Amino acid sequence: MSRSGRRNGGLAQPPSDPGKLRGMILDAGLQPERTELAWRRTVLALTLGGIVSLRILPPVIGAWGVAAGVGGTIAGVTLAVLAARRAAGVASSLRASRPLPPAGALLAGVALVAFLGAVVAAFAVAAIVAGR
Amino acid sequence: MESQQHAPPVDPRPRFPAWVHRDGSEPDPRFSLANERTFLAWIRTCLALLASGVALEALALPLEPRLRLTASVLLLVLALLVPPLAWVHWGRTERAMRRGDPLPASTLTAALAVGLLVVAALVLVGLLVGS
Repeated sequence: MSRSGRRNGGLAQPPSDPGKLRGMILDAGLQPERTELAWRRTVLALTLGGIVSLRILPPVIGAWGVAAGVGGTIAGVTLAVLAARRAAGVASSLRASRPLPPAGALLAGVALVAFLGAVVAAFAVAAIVAGR
Repeated sequence: MESQQHAPPVDPRPRFPAWVHRDGSEPDPRFSLANERTFLAWIRTCLALLASGVALEALALPLEPRLRLTASVLLLVLALLVPPLAWVHWGRTERAMRRGDPLPASTLTAALAVGLLVVAALVLVGLLVGS
């Protein structure tokens, strides 16, 4: 089984002293840290998009704009919490040399929020143009 | 159902989506994390596209109106395409890494490059013609 050997190639081996486990560097390339930061800037952008659209959308599409802005903000905050939990899960999986926690559903959720944001943006532009 | 019961012992939990996790073995976690970051970068690209599309019209920039609207619509169409394609591309990449296949070519980069080239041309001509 060469694959199982490849699975953790390059990952730091757990130290013998369990007290060192918590602060140890899990990967020399800081992959989990870079991934966590990528999550943070993505959910930050999503959340800010929700907040900004609360300012922009209501004058253009009325109550739907309020709903979209509040919904977008709540979705952004929710994804931020889920992303933080995922980062903790990734770290503990790497420490235990287990497979990473599943990402498919969370990524699908992020894609759905971004797609719905684009739909709302298209409606907003249509309303702006129609209102001229 | 059946594929979940016959899942390889390395991955006992049924994982979503099944078409990604049905066969192969767990890739190096560093590669999975890199794949995840690439997906997230596409999502941020989508957000930039939709913000640009809205800004062109919302700020009523001094461009020829029809060219400005065309550029805005094109940006929004790209913003609509990116999230589903990015998710499918993430899944295909993950599946290829599990199977040890070559990584799939991105379907998004060419469309994005052509689309942004057209948008840039529209904005440039729209600025020169003016409102």
